[in-house]
Amino acid sequence: MFTESTVTFIALGAIFAFSFYAVLNAGQLSLGQAGFASVAAYTSVLVAPDPDVVGDVPALLIALVVGAAVGTAAAVVLGLPTMHLRGVFLAIATLGFAEAVRIFLLNAEWTGGAQGMSVPKIVTPAIAWMVLALVAYWFWRSGPTRYGRALEAIREDELAAGAMGIDVGRHRLGAFATAGAVAGLYGVLWAYTVRLVAPADFGFTAAIDGLVTAMVGGTTMFIGPVVGSAFLTVIPEIQRALGVEAGWIRPFVAGLLLLVVILFLPGGLAGRIPRRIRVPNLGGGSGGSDAGSDADGGSTDLRTREHAPRGDVVARLSGLSKDYGGVHAVRDVDLEIHSGELLGLIGPNGAGKTTLVNMISGLVAPSSGEASVLGVTAGRTPVHRVAAAGVSRTFQHSKLFDRLSALENVLVGGHLVTRPTLLRRLAWLPSARRDEQAALTHAARCLRRVGMLDAATARAGALSYGDQRRLEIARALAADPSLLILDEPAAGMNTVEAGELAHLIRSLADDGLAVLLIEHNVGLVRQICDRVVVLNFGEVIAAGVPAEVAADPRVVEAYLGTEA
Amino acid sequence: MSHRARAFLAATAVTVTLAACTSGGGGGDDASLVGEGTGADCTIGSPVPVGAALSLTGAAASYGESQQMGLELAAEQLNADGGVEYELTIEDDQTDPRQGIAVFEQFTADDGVSVIIGPTLSNGGFQAQPIAQEEGVPVLAISNTADGITEQGDYIFRDSLTEAQVIPQTIAKAKEVYGAESAVVMYSNDDAFTEAGYEVFAESLDAEGIEVAETLEFSTSDTDFRALLTEARSADADLLVVSALIEAAIPLVTQARELGIDVPIVGGNGFNNPQLMADAGDAAEGVVVGAAWNSASDNPENTAFLADFEEKYGTPPDQFAAQAYTGLMLIDTAVRSTCSGERDAIKEGLGTIDGVPTVLGELTINDARDAEHEAVVQIVEDGAFAVLD
Repeated sequence: MFTESTVTFIALGAIFAFSFYAVLNAGQLSLGQAGFASVAAYTSVLVAPDPDVVGDVPALLIALVVGAAVGTAAAVVLGLPTMHLRGVFLAIATLGFAEAVRIFLLNAEWTGGAQGMSVPKIVTPAIAWMVLALVAYWFWRSGPTRYGRALEAIREDELAAGAMGIDVGRHRLGAFATAGAVAGLYGVLWAYTVRLVAPADFGFTAAIDGLVTAMVGGTTMFIGPVVGSAFLTVIPEIQRALGVEAGWIRPFVAGLLLLVVILFLPGGLAGRIPRRIRVPNLGGGSGGSDAGSDADGGSTDLRTREHAPRGDVVARLSGLSKDYGGVHAVRDVDLEIHSGELLGLIGPNGAGKTTLVNMISGLVAPSSGEASVLGVTAGRTPVHRVAAAGVSRTFQHSKLFDRLSALENVLVGGHLVTRPTLLRRLAWLPSARRDEQAALTHAARCLRRVGMLDAATARAGALSYGDQRRLEIARALAADPSLLILDEPAAGMNTVEAGELAHLIRSLADDGLAVLLIEHNVGLVRQICDRVVVLNFGEVIAAGVPAEVAADPRVVEAYLGTEA
Repeated sequence: MSHRARAFLAATAVTVTLAACTSGGGGGDDASLVGEGTGADCTIGSPVPVGAALSLTGAAASYGESQQMGLELAAEQLNADGGVEYELTIEDDQTDPRQGIAVFEQFTADDGVSVIIGPTLSNGGFQAQPIAQEEGVPVLAISNTADGITEQGDYIFRDSLTEAQVIPQTIAKAKEVYGAESAVVMYSNDDAFTEAGYEVFAESLDAEGIEVAETLEFSTSDTDFRALLTEARSADADLLVVSALIEAAIPLVTQARELGIDVPIVGGNGFNNPQLMADAGDAAEGVVVGAAWNSASDNPENTAFLADFEEKYGTPPDQFAAQAYTGLMLIDTAVRSTCSGERDAIKEGLGTIDGVPTVLGELTINDARDAEHEAVVQIVEDGAFAVLD
């Protein structure tokens, strides 16, 4: 039933699908891969030496290297101006690029126009599968690395990924360049398989083919593109073997099968394969007090951060304001936060608490004033740099990486304190394994500290609300921060859970961290905070030790309203 | 799932091994494919397997469907004649190189066919036909008009005239009849067939000393040509020369007449389709079409073909159907010339075709394995093609 070309085309289809997988896995939808592939194919056919002179395999090797390089270069050139685009806008921009390339190739003198250029056939099934193995190897090894997890985190929640210290722009460009390189390999293999390189084979249909193959296979498992390509390539062969009459009925049936797969296996054919997660054995029982961030800092396999000595100012806000149109969300706030201090920030709904912490963590730029945090100016520094300076936070509405396990969420949180392992993992160096192990141990300790080690393998999106809040804290802790911002961490918790949480937060401050706690639960704040700041209509109306603040008539008025 | 994946890989490996182990050979049960008698008396015991790779779906589906009708009519008639029976397998290449290559590999396998017809598009031909050449299976192209198709090897033949065989004649005739001195050329530049046609048009216009006032490009998927046509009108040339597929030809001709362009419109093989008159109506009147098939020819083969086709399908045939029909008839001639349905015998037989009367006229396969027959310059008159003279 299978002819030689079927075997070859399964490999080619999978390689092309991998170029979509590379970006989809990082949450980007690009349709420019056919453009990268055609640029690479044409260039390498033009540049590569004649196989009759240097031999088939050397000629193809040179062509593949040229193709991958050209594909990468094209992706970087396209990526630099388009990487800030999201979702369908990126898809349209990249599709525009592919179309421009196609029109150029149709009209350039040296390409042979629509009739294309003739290419010798060199690719055999073995060669195609070897290249596929190489590509799959890259994605297999890069998945469970700091880099691979960062890409997945960006896919799940870009904002949270940035707040964990991941340079989103660079990682997105990296994924895009990988897509370009893989698409380049595909273009070259295609040309040397079908004997003719013509613009028609790199049009919109080709792009959609690649996208569909990647989606059908699944975009969260590295084996997905191979499964998808095998499925889609074999369908017409099976129909032919079964004697289904040639004509419209075959694409119709193929379309129906596609529909069935997408309906019943939304994660793709490979989506059913469970992710294997090894939770490291921490030993020493479940007692958490000895295994805080300080203990991790002492570990030789992790990067350590110099924490400011207790009492030092970690953040200084002066005249900080934020206006949205005519609304003054935050007005002229002056504030200092010291390390080792647990500072409560309270205020009625809409008082500007979240806007204020967004400015401190660098997510929102102030309209005026300045927030100097751990030596950087938040708002004028990219979010990941603010995070790198030692600010870590949770969000008012959980921003977990839902499709990743709890442990993986915390691993991403440790982005800043773990070492990059991608290149060493590709080369199977033992030190990569050691570093990954250290990262895992660190993450597991952070989970244990919030009492969630038992849920390490559960999907973050499947956790209960209270567990999600705690997981966010564990993730923020994993960054070994100097300033920890907790945005309503007790929301949705019952009294017992809130009590445990209060104990945990207090212990963090006692460890020497500066903790900024936003909380509705005034009782909780009074119970554990060293100092409280009250915000109303964007302005600080009171500040001081909890007991004083609670007695302040302006605070009472803000919370209860005035009877006058 | 993982052991299923392993089973799949194992199956793949087995297939690769099998594909590598088997080597090309003759077609099936050799003995019974050689018959007795010659010519019309030839009788072959087992049916001669003929494979056709056509674009039945995808971008070129409209041509593939015409070709399928032409082939099926021919097979039906030949099998009714008796003596030699043809087992026609029509496969769809979905206008996709991957499918085209897979279909050719299947046809050229050991239990494959004796001769292959197709594929529909020239680019597909360059991608798939070398497989047949390598395996020693003769191919008869029935619609490839690009240069270099038959240069791919001595097993590749064609019965479709190249653009270079049709267009120069068309331009010469147009100059003779209309005394044209200048022309505007329009073509779709994203299709191999129409682009090749344009290149020959340009050369022929140059050779005839007709000045090209303007060259305008469009895409095969375009349907609104008014802007381009307005530009063409302002050039005020004597001819409007168009290299386009029928899908573009119909709106283009209609819109040209709407805009008051009343100079003769000259088209190539793509225009040689009764759909032009059916859909463009009066606008098609006076369109000059250089073509490989004279649909108005009164030779007995053509008259019978027109009648039989109309009877079987209820629509008039186009050039693709005529060339497909002729293709299988030529294969029959080749088989009967040596009374053998083997691959190499058919190859020899096709090479000796000389002055065979066909729907396309008296047809000869020359030393370059290309067909030679009279091309025709037609003009649309009263809703039908007539010979322009």
